[in-house]
Amino acid sequence: MNLAIIGCGGIGRMHAEMAARCGLKIVACADKDPDAAKALARRYNALATTDADGAIRRPDVDIVLVTTPTPRHAGVVIDAAKAGKHIFCEKPFASTVQQGRTAIAAVKKARVKLFVGHVVRYFHEFETLRAQIQAGKIGEPGYVKMYRGGIYPGGPSSWFRDYAQSGGVTFDCMIHDLDWLRYMFGEPDRIFCQALRRSEPEKLDYSQVTLKMRNGMLALVIGTWAHPAGFQVKVEVCGSAGMLQFDSNISSLSAMKREVKGAGPTMIVPSSAEDVSPYELEWRDFIGWIEGKHEPRVTPEDALRAVEIALAALKSADTGRPVEL
Amino acid sequence: MPKIGIMSFAHMHAYSYGACLNALPEAEFVAVWDDKPRRGRAAARQFGATFVSKLEKFLDLDLDGVIICSENVKHREMTTLAAQAGKWVLCEKPLATNVADAHAMIKACEKAKVGLGTAFPCRFAAPLRVARDRIVSGEFGAVYAAACTNNGSNPGGWFAEDMLSGGGATMDHTVHVVDVLRWITGKEFRKVYCEAGNVLHRDTLETDDVGLLQLEMEGGAQVSHVASWSRPKSFPTWGDVTIEFICEKGVLNVDAFNQRVDVYSDAAMKAEWVSWGGNPDLGLVRDFVRAIMEKRPPCATGLDGLRATEVTVAAYESLKSGNVVKIRA
Ligand SMILES: NC(=O)c1ccc[n+]([C@@H]2O[C@H](COP(=O)([O-])OP(=O)(O)OC[C@H]3O[C@@H](n4cnc5c(N)ncnc54)[C@H](O)[C@@H]3O)[C@@H](O)[C@H]2O)c1
Repeated sequence: MNLAIIGCGGIGRMHAEMAARCGLKIVACADKDPDAAKALARRYNALATTDADGAIRRPDVDIVLVTTPTPRHAGVVIDAAKAGKHIFCEKPFASTVQQGRTAIAAVKKARVKLFVGHVVRYFHEFETLRAQIQAGKIGEPGYVKMYRGGIYPGGPSSWFRDYAQSGGVTFDCMIHDLDWLRYMFGEPDRIFCQALRRSEPEKLDYSQVTLKMRNGMLALVIGTWAHPAGFQVKVEVCGSAGMLQFDSNISSLSAMKREVKGAGPTMIVPSSAEDVSPYELEWRDFIGWIEGKHEPRVTPEDALRAVEIALAALKSADTGRPVEL
Repeated sequence: MPKIGIMSFAHMHAYSYGACLNALPEAEFVAVWDDKPRRGRAAARQFGATFVSKLEKFLDLDLDGVIICSENVKHREMTTLAAQAGKWVLCEKPLATNVADAHAMIKACEKAKVGLGTAFPCRFAAPLRVARDRIVSGEFGAVYAAACTNNGSNPGGWFAEDMLSGGGATMDHTVHVVDVLRWITGKEFRKVYCEAGNVLHRDTLETDDVGLLQLEMEGGAQVSHVASWSRPKSFPTWGDVTIEFICEKGVLNVDAFNQRVDVYSDAAMKAEWVSWGGNPDLGLVRDFVRAIMEKRPPCATGLDGLRATEVTVAAYESLKSGNVVKIRA
């Protein structure tokens, strides 16, 4: 099957490699920045273009990868659905619930498959946590704390630095944890959030989200784009008969490079030494679904719900009140 | 040399304070009173003090100060009686389970012209002292946010009985961190939102075992706090006090009791964290004794205890109403 990539930035490049490893052929790389398109296209002998719609509509394209900035996701998904292509879209699925609903309607109408990259469901450490919980190792879970983040992503002019586009750490980053909580423990009933979202003297975001789950469980999710460096993920699950803890800083491989001064990282994804990348596992799941082998771990409705929950958190932060879901 | 007595060993911290009193050359641990005579007699024997079973007799003793370690709801009565008898008081935290009690205790001690201290030993934990020094110095600029935890194990006993404890993990494990943040930032708490759960120890506790607090301080700093009895029996230590400070010029993390050596002993058959850090209780008790000698207020006063109690009480109000609650209008 052939792939067109729309958005050739940090995560677009990473997905290109994962898709290629799964046997997909990258035929077109589209980006509004011609240099970004060219750089990626060269690596895979693909067409470089600034015309996203043209790339989507090429007859030899089976799958469209949507790795543009978030506000553009739903639009590209709709275009790809209309062109009859299957779609792999990065999270957050859409910037608003309405956008997400419209995109799902377009996908349903076109009878194409849409997969949204809630990759945390595929992380080995999270899968291990899940297995331990399901094996009853800690009894009944009653309280979960999740922590994710590090330095503020993107260069000075990046869309990440515009809260209106990225939604800050709450929407862009913590949506991973909000999705995983729902995946594991069901629907949240009520959500409360404080989010820093500072721009002066510099961009700093720090978000604290409390969730009361329908089953009586509590969760605290903390996201940081306020650290001077680094990236860390921590999870703690407390149960009636034990506790699980994971900390990405306790790692079997660590390395530190002296970076050139004055430049922030362009893309932040957690990485460990592992046999198969969770990003590749996403692609295997998606491709298997297209081939009719199984149902995917993430449904479009899951992705929409994650958007809804993350937006409810931001609404709580804006109003200073809890939001009922 | 100040003569000190301990009133009630209901709270296990009394045993640590007793050992501290005996370790301090400037104090004399004279007497114990307890409404459970067996417990009091055994404790008195352990520390070489005299057990006095009648409260009036105990209060008639020539004591300069008392440390009160009763069940939370009894703090008010004992503090009032001790103050009326002219004793300085160091009261275990939480100072009180409601605001009226805390006010009454402060008033009673003022009237009797005795000092009232709240047992906030975190102020004497070196990692928190250093964090305070560095933040107060301005090195990190303004504090924008803090994420805190005070996790512990299930204490059981009267802690889990609302009528004696006044509440569960939220009552037990909110005040330390509230006091530390007030002490470090010099600011008061303005608002609180609270969710609490009781899944972890539902079978044995009637109270909450986890409280998740979201707070706002004067000046707008956003704070989250976990007050829990969530550490399982297999956990290598009792729990923690941690704070992540998000500041204008950087991030500062304190894990106050994580100065440790990891011990793996086949005799225990579980990992153990053995502390190499200082003993904050010793600093607390020494400060109380010196406050008596120097006739000055203890490091953390009754007012500090009241302020922390106000936050806890507002948290429980929020839990009931489901809304954000203003702390002290
Ligand atoms: N799952 C993960 O771990 C993960 C990690 C990082 C990013 N993401 C998500 O992936 C998406 C992209 O993030 P990124 O880090 O790659 O950002 P990025 O800024 O590095 O890349 C975005 C690219 O899209 C291009 N672009 C912008 N508007 C476009 C348009 N209208 N049409 C075509 N191209 C356009 C930009 O020129 C840029 O090259 C975001 O939604 C982000 O939230 C997910």
